Amino acid sequence: MNKRKMFLRMITASLIRRRSRMIVALLSVAIGAAILSGLVTIYIDVPRQMGAQFRNYGANMIFTPTDGQFTSDDITRGKSYIDSREIVGVTPYRYESVRIHELPVMAAGTDMEQAKLTSPYWSVEGEYPSGNGQILLGASLAEQFRLGIGDEVTVNYTPEDKDRAEGETVLDNTKDMTVVGILETGGPEEDYVYIPMTDLEELTGISGQIDIAELSVSAKSDKLKEYADKISANVPGVSARLVKRVTESESTVLTKLQALVLLVTVVVLALTMICVATTMTAVVTERRREIGLRKAIGASNGGIIAEFMGEGIMLGAIGGTIGVVLGFIFAQQVSINVFSSSISFMPLLIPITILVSVAVTGVSCLLPIRSATQVDPALVLKGE
Amino acid sequence: MSLLELKNIYKIYGDLHALDNVNLKVEKGEWLSIMGPSGSGKSTMMNIIGCMDKPSKGEVLLDGVDIAKESSKNLTAIRRDKIGLIFQQFHLVGYLTAIENVMLAQYYHSVPDEKEALEALDRVGLADRAKHLPSQLSGGEQQRVCVARALINYPEIILADEPTGNLDDANEKIVVDLFHKLHNEGTTLIVVTHDPEVAEVAQRTVYLRNGKLHKETINENFTGEIKFVSEVEL
Amino acid sequence: MFFRMIFGTLFRQWKKMLMIAFTIALGASLATAMLSVMLDVGDKVNQELKTYGANITVVPKENSVLSSLYEVEGEGGTGAFLREDELGKIKTIFWAFNIIDYAPFINASVTLDDGTKASAVGTWFNHHMELPTGEQLDAGVKSMRSWWEVIDGKWLDEQTGGENGAMVGKALAEKLGIKSGDTLHLNGTVSELTLDVVGVFDAGGEEDDKIFMPIDTAQSLDGLDGKIDSIEVSALTTPENDLAIKAAKDPKSLTIAQYETWYCTAYASSICYQIQEVITDSVAAPVRQVADSEGAILEKTQLLMTLITILSLVGAALGICNLVTASVMERSAEIGLMKAIGAQNSSVSGLVLTEIMVTAIFGGTAGFFAGWGFAQIIGHSVFGSAIAMRPVVIPLVAVLVVIVTLAGCIPAIRMLLRLSPCEVLHGR
Repeated sequence: MNKRKMFLRMITASLIRRRSRMIVALLSVAIGAAILSGLVTIYIDVPRQMGAQFRNYGANMIFTPTDGQFTSDDITRGKSYIDSREIVGVTPYRYESVRIHELPVMAAGTDMEQAKLTSPYWSVEGEYPSGNGQILLGASLAEQFRLGIGDEVTVNYTPEDKDRAEGETVLDNTKDMTVVGILETGGPEEDYVYIPMTDLEELTGISGQIDIAELSVSAKSDKLKEYADKISANVPGVSARLVKRVTESESTVLTKLQALVLLVTVVVLALTMICVATTMTAVVTERRREIGLRKAIGASNGGIIAEFMGEGIMLGAIGGTIGVVLGFIFAQQVSINVFSSSISFMPLLIPITILVSVAVTGVSCLLPIRSATQVDPALVLKGE
Repeated sequence: MSLLELKNIYKIYGDLHALDNVNLKVEKGEWLSIMGPSGSGKSTMMNIIGCMDKPSKGEVLLDGVDIAKESSKNLTAIRRDKIGLIFQQFHLVGYLTAIENVMLAQYYHSVPDEKEALEALDRVGLADRAKHLPSQLSGGEQQRVCVARALINYPEIILADEPTGNLDDANEKIVVDLFHKLHNEGTTLIVVTHDPEVAEVAQRTVYLRNGKLHKETINENFTGEIKFVSEVEL
Repeated sequence: MFFRMIFGTLFRQWKKMLMIAFTIALGASLATAMLSVMLDVGDKVNQELKTYGANITVVPKENSVLSSLYEVEGEGGTGAFLREDELGKIKTIFWAFNIIDYAPFINASVTLDDGTKASAVGTWFNHHMELPTGEQLDAGVKSMRSWWEVIDGKWLDEQTGGENGAMVGKALAEKLGIKSGDTLHLNGTVSELTLDVVGVFDAGGEEDDKIFMPIDTAQSLDGLDGKIDSIEVSALTTPENDLAIKAAKDPKSLTIAQYETWYCTAYASSICYQIQEVITDSVAAPVRQVADSEGAILEKTQLLMTLITILSLVGAALGICNLVTASVMERSAEIGLMKAIGAQNSSVSGLVLTEIMVTAIFGGTAGFFAGWGFAQIIGHSVFGSAIAMRPVVIPLVAVLVVIVTLAGCIPAIRMLLRLSPCEVLHGR
């Protein structure tokens, strides 16, 4: 048996046989470590998770054609410049003037599934159109025409025909459609009628044309700007612009939120570390007599410090490991409860948390041990 | 040259003279008892001999080295190498087994050796209790572990402070017998006690009162082999 | 004698007691800080979300049915307007305090000298109001269009006479080749004016094609004195729930009790309802894009903070428990002695409990104020404003400290009671 083995044997004996005290200390280190890893995970993940919430505000980038109109191919090309994981939704819109009850109305042809993603704030009474001949009617139009869900309307479209002779009557294209939903937004969308793109193409007889595309991308505003510049420069026919109102505000609010979580994390961590330190101090202080004994039978101060530090470090390592697991579970629970999505696991956090726990327990043991080793062994042994 | 020599030792706390001009020589292999009532300066003297305290004035020669002038770091080293301590309250590390407590002394001294530690426990008759924790041992057994711990590094001097103070008669006898055995093996023993029965079995007893040595008796009936005759300057 | 013993411990063992008090203070300060921040975070984040602009728009009743498509109608509209003189009333509604900003808008169609048509908007920039309550408010687009970037010149300042000033959108400015400091001659339907271009802004939207000017100026162009097209209101609102949704459809469908609750809660729909009450012939509607998203974000933030608060409270509680247990156990020798000289279990526990509780009261009080300080630091560094004190924090923290300290004492006291005096005194 060499010295190192004996060293380890003593430390493990202390940890195992002084079970109740050590559990107390271990618990406090583990909680500290759990708070550290949990809060840091949340802190790092908040912008991503909150960013997703901010996508509620709808599109933050729009593609407009540089010359009148573009096609879905142009949009696909533009889209390819953006990291596909960051794209929440891409919704093409095509606006045409149609007539309902002989009154001119602006119709928007779109992809309903994508519209749900890029405009999550739309409040639809009834349901989104999902099949042929179904339309979504803006609330103020619905009021104006006294139309409700389930009502049938005839939509008229007058085709533009450049070759048409003066005075010649052109027959309207017509399509009977059913109102399946009433759209409420409190904004200009309430004056539109939304028609699935295929139906609008059928009605107008013209396909493949798109007026504008809305994109919802979960990225920070500077990255969005980068994307927009790249797309405008590289994709002919597409001009990408940021919806400043959304992007600017999002970065302001997100920055504040992250600062809030950071500050809270720092305060909680500082207080937790002090708590761990006081617990460790208490644990070491009650062993002054043992320190005196070790000195009496010939331990040098350095030796005693090494042993107790060894114990502290082991405690820190075990507590840190338990804490990492607990912290991850906590962060995961928070993420699932708050954002209904799982948290991204950060492997780097494991060594960091364990190192910090070891450092905190080590330092908080060091001070009381140093003062304990200054004590005269004779006084400690007699002092009862 | 004597193994240990105290020359004009004073230990002064404020106005209190805990030790007042004490002179004492201890020869190698001798068994000495120090007796005296509470407050006579026994513990102070024991602390000084045990390298745990320094005199205010005077010389303490251990193997010819004046330990009164050494730094506390060196004192620790001297204590480790030359002195084995036995306490009234045993002072075993509660979470270490009997054998580990013995090995602790080896660990600080040189290198822990489980076999040797087991032999030491065997010498005090506790080989079968090696894996027990102090809380599982009786008072006498605990004190015997202390003895094993004290002698494991073959110290020049074994210094015992009231070794039987917390023991019943039966255990007291066992410990005293152990001292006999150690003495016969040639170990130098200094036993601080106020129990006359324990003190009288030694070769020589010095009496302390108010910090001064005031009496010395030589045990004429000492059964062990007496190698040296020490002189005390009064 | 009981008190003498307690004083004895408190003063003679002050170092140990100080450590317990310190830990309790830390726990209490953590609890106070987190609870205060948690309870106030809703308001704070709400305030921040105001950068998204108005969450309520008010338009004339007739117009709400046939309002603008594409906002290019310009000429004449339907002839329905809101009254400018009623604007002040918005700050008199029940939830006036929650209205943090608002601005009226009037659209005018103007023709430039070269014949191009442009749309002009009259509004408030930083309109200063002194309310009957003594409150002062600077309202207008300067704060409600916080995302505007003034790329040339500066914001128009109404306070230092900006009547003849105008701000031009980036796209229009590029088209006309004008920059700040230039003048712009506008022909309205009634009068013509020459305005100084004070600034050019980038709004990243359709407003980039418009000219913004003070409301009186725009009104005089088209002879619409005292008339406004719409009002945008920025209000602090509570996320909608079932009641609010039901009420928004028809407030009359509610029972009296439900109505009271709804009316007295800052739902977007109840604020809208109250605005309609004070502005003649108006329809106020929440802007879903802003109102809904605000609701979602607020809810998430509050939930997040609540969970973090719970975590830190658990941490603080365990920390206190730990130390109290450790420090009580440390005194086993003393308690063994007390039992040896005849103390009853009850009196021993009473003594220990009283000591710890006295310490806890001191520690808790100190911690409360420290935590209050922490909360303010957080408030000021993140939101630039103080965290409001909720009275409910005080009893919460007090109860927490007492329960946690007691819980920390229980295992220790149970252990002490099991001690037999001789064991302790013989140091085993």
